[in-house]
Amino acid sequence: MFTYYLRLALRALRNSPVLTALMVLALAVGIGASMTMLTVLHVLSGDPLPGRSAHLYYPQVDPRPLARGSDGNPEPPGLLTYIDAENLLHQGKAARAALMYQGGDVVQPPSGSALHPFVVNSRLTGRDFFSMFEVPFRYGAPWSAADDAGAAHVAVISQKLDRKLFGGADSVGRMLDFGGHSFRIVGVLAHWRPVPRFYDVDSSRYGEVEDVFIPFNTARALNLGVEGSTNCYGRPGKDLDTSPCGFIQMWVQLDSRPAAAAYRRFLADYSAQQHAAGRFQRPPNVRLDDLMQWLAYNHVVPEDVRMQAWLALGFLLVCVVNTVGLLLAKFLRRSGEIGVRRALGASRRAIFAQLLIEAGMIGAAGALLGLLLTWLGLWAVRQQPSDYARLAHLQPAMLVATLLLALLASLVAGLLPAWRASRIAPALQIKSA
Amino acid sequence: MMTPRPILSSLRRHKIAAFLIVLEIALAFAIVSNAVYMVIGRLQRIDLRSGIDERGLVLLRLATASKQNGSVASAQTDLATLRAIPGVESASAINTLPLSGSQWSLAYSLRPMRAFSDGVQVPVFFGGPGLLQTLGIRVIQGSAFQPSAYSDLSPKDVFKAFVNARQALITQAFAQRLWPHASAVGKVMYMGETPVLVVGVVSNIIQPYIGADAHDPANYYGVISPFRAGPDLNAWYALRCQPAACARVLKAGAAKLQAMHPTETLNAQESFTHMRQRYFRDDRSMAWLLVSTVIALLGVTAIGIVGLASFWVQQRTRQIGVRRALGARRIDILRYFQTENFLLATAGIALGCAAAIGINVWLMAHYAVPRLPVMYLPLGALLLWGLGQLAVLGPALRAARVAPTVAMRSA
Amino acid sequence: MLDMREIAKVYRTETIETHALRGFTLSVREGEFVAVTGPSGSGKTTFLTIAGLLEDFNSGEYILDGVNVHGMNDDQRSRLRNEKIGFVFQAFNLIPDLNVLDNVEVPLHYRRGIGAAERRKRAIGALERVGLSARMRHYPAELSGGQQQRAAIARALAGSPRLLLADEPTGNLDTAMARGVMELIEELHREGATVVMVTHDPDLAARAERNVHIVDGMATGILEEPRFRPSLRERTGTDVPHGGA
Repeated sequence: MFTYYLRLALRALRNSPVLTALMVLALAVGIGASMTMLTVLHVLSGDPLPGRSAHLYYPQVDPRPLARGSDGNPEPPGLLTYIDAENLLHQGKAARAALMYQGGDVVQPPSGSALHPFVVNSRLTGRDFFSMFEVPFRYGAPWSAADDAGAAHVAVISQKLDRKLFGGADSVGRMLDFGGHSFRIVGVLAHWRPVPRFYDVDSSRYGEVEDVFIPFNTARALNLGVEGSTNCYGRPGKDLDTSPCGFIQMWVQLDSRPAAAAYRRFLADYSAQQHAAGRFQRPPNVRLDDLMQWLAYNHVVPEDVRMQAWLALGFLLVCVVNTVGLLLAKFLRRSGEIGVRRALGASRRAIFAQLLIEAGMIGAAGALLGLLLTWLGLWAVRQQPSDYARLAHLQPAMLVATLLLALLASLVAGLLPAWRASRIAPALQIKSA
Repeated sequence: MMTPRPILSSLRRHKIAAFLIVLEIALAFAIVSNAVYMVIGRLQRIDLRSGIDERGLVLLRLATASKQNGSVASAQTDLATLRAIPGVESASAINTLPLSGSQWSLAYSLRPMRAFSDGVQVPVFFGGPGLLQTLGIRVIQGSAFQPSAYSDLSPKDVFKAFVNARQALITQAFAQRLWPHASAVGKVMYMGETPVLVVGVVSNIIQPYIGADAHDPANYYGVISPFRAGPDLNAWYALRCQPAACARVLKAGAAKLQAMHPTETLNAQESFTHMRQRYFRDDRSMAWLLVSTVIALLGVTAIGIVGLASFWVQQRTRQIGVRRALGARRIDILRYFQTENFLLATAGIALGCAAAIGINVWLMAHYAVPRLPVMYLPLGALLLWGLGQLAVLGPALRAARVAPTVAMRSA
Repeated sequence: MLDMREIAKVYRTETIETHALRGFTLSVREGEFVAVTGPSGSGKTTFLTIAGLLEDFNSGEYILDGVNVHGMNDDQRSRLRNEKIGFVFQAFNLIPDLNVLDNVEVPLHYRRGIGAAERRKRAIGALERVGLSARMRHYPAELSGGQQQRAAIARALAGSPRLLLADEPTGNLDTAMARGVMELIEELHREGATVVMVTHDPDLAARAERNVHIVDGMATGILEEPRFRPSLRERTGTDVPHGGA
């Protein structure tokens, strides 16, 4: 029976090629546009560290002076001052913890190299950065706890920088001239590009990871400048580390809910203690978001992209309504034929099934064309200059979703017209129009 | 010509198809009017006046290792060399530029304040006496800084010194914010507890980083402080050049700087026009995306209308013939279908208006989208009416060609 | 009223040339009731489409109510058709989407200078004449065939035409209904209407004043004695079937 319906559907589609083509095109455009935008949204709003993200937390305290007006943001600031960061790092109980900020400076190529000096970004952080975020190493390993404590002049570099400076060779043990200082390379990263670049929402959120990693203490000792934001809540002092200025991100790993709850209590206790000591003017005001909460709180997925996704869904809806209309027209055009079929003994159910199969075939064609359009659409998105644009690739899951969506859309669109056409009364003759 | 009532009663007999067209037009209208509004918002951002003289401004920036070099003194030498390039009218080392995306800002208030959040956050520009001329900023009231007012900033004391400026030039927009009814010249504002004397008001400059609302006057709040800066504070070398000479000036300037600083590197080398384009690239992409979506959406809607209208024409071939036999001219038949489409579009637009406003209210609640101005609704309505008429024209012309003899065929 | 001289009509397709009418001549006086008969394919329908201004013809002369229609463009013919001719079709041809009243109003929509109130008045008048005023809110599908044809006749009358053209008006009706419709047409004729009826049914044709037989596209001109002479025509001196006026 099914193959018979299939043959009937094929013949019906061949009989009105223009209308069929229009329907397939309309459906494909809808599928293409919406899947393009949804794929971008999917790529951008994914979990950068699946499996680990639930255990990673971003602590916040509020060292701001009391405002006279009430116009300030009631939430604690996103960046820690040096004093608070050090206190939290040493007093808090976390499985792992790392302070960090972004810097940038000039790399002096090794003597004899044909390269000119060039500027790269650096991440100035603790050794837990690598283990906490499961950063893959190609050569070597993170620096040691002793390097952290002793502010050793050591560095981990990216695969990209290793290729540029050393042709991709194992450069562990060699020296890196960065910002006028010399660092011994202890490790080279393998390819690592978390999307989004979650650990620092104040700089490029979909950019590549930094090329140079140096211990936080070393960076502070050498006074390596901040390339990201520095927000002062009050009058700065002589240097950054003693000023009420936030510039440090902190991540902690808390492996259980009780551990997280305990850490949150610790943040409140710490704030209360600082308040009592007069350093904090505000009563305890803390946050401890896990990774995904932190991304949502900071609206990391660009608003444009979210809006596009809504636009895409609206578009798809229009396409489905459009397909409903066209299918209705197509089926009712054949009222005469359907009437005769009914007279010859076809049940309503049979007519309904036959027409739904026809709708499904249009959906299948729309899906294939839509997939092509999605692929084209993503190509077009990749030509855009935004950081995130280059990440827009069709993923297997989205590919399957595209096909299913198209098929589902066409079947849903086919329901009403097929039902309506199956109500056509049996007729003994094909009336001329 | 065609009165709507018989058309309406005829449509009542085809509820599903009529409703589908209405629904499609309503959805398209709601989406299109919001999208068109967003596109226009983007285009307005892209077209924002920067307030500086953009033609003939080129930029160079030297990256200095660990900020050990590149002090104000070395910047003065660099600038002297750059000024010597033929075609350069003036040169200045400036901490930040409009639309550069990275800014230094401080909070100012009319009263002394302890918490910075009590003031208005305003970007601060500084760069020595050449800044005004190089950027093409005019002093509107008061005067520019006396040469003796300037001091040097370096990374070592930047935190302490930066907040201690005692004089300022402020933009007209910021002057109006602080003193709406009086001249700002000679008045005192506060950076924390430090009093700052306003010595002059300058023409508006757009901020290095602008907010979501392009029309917000705060985009033009700005303060100029009497500091000199060097590459160790990431200062830009801005060169004003004769527009025809700029490309050559940029190349020559880059070559000279690189030759003078072999161990350093240029991390920026571009015209201001280019920087401006880079700043608005996301807006431009978004505008393009919205425009292509709108076009595709209108195309799909048109396909829907063509499909259903063709079906209707086919279904009604006989009654068209009868109408023709009863004396309808071709144009009467054409108008019948055009009027029918107009009525459906009108219903769709009315429904879509409600949806458009609903979507806008929702977008306002969730995204930085301003209220949809009422004028966009008639605009969208015209667009959809036009689209409907265009789409129905083909099927309607086909209907008008139906011969009156069709009525004679026996059924 | 209707004057056709030497009318020729040729239908051409790529392969065949069909002479549907050749040298067809017919004259119908005001107030006359003429039946046009002939076997299938004789050119009856072609005569009707030309008489009804649905199509132009190739040669000859056709004067309708004093107007020479040869060479008129489509719009002019539509206009003339609307003002001077009332059609009654075999298949009734009511518009299924419209109720009876709206159907009757259709031709009036295409006439200039008639307002909505006047249109309504005339349509109701026409329906009263055919005895259907009680059904004017009904849709065609809700009426019997006879009632549908009455509605179609009301539609033909509503525009106060100079000439009623009927094409097998009872062809789709059973005997009882057909009788009713024929009686209505005869009554209209008695009241002064000029009627040209095309039919293949000799019994029906016999009820007209005069018969014209078409064979191979030519009028053979078999004349019969009229059964009766309507007296009304002489008395009123008008052949206009009134709508509701």
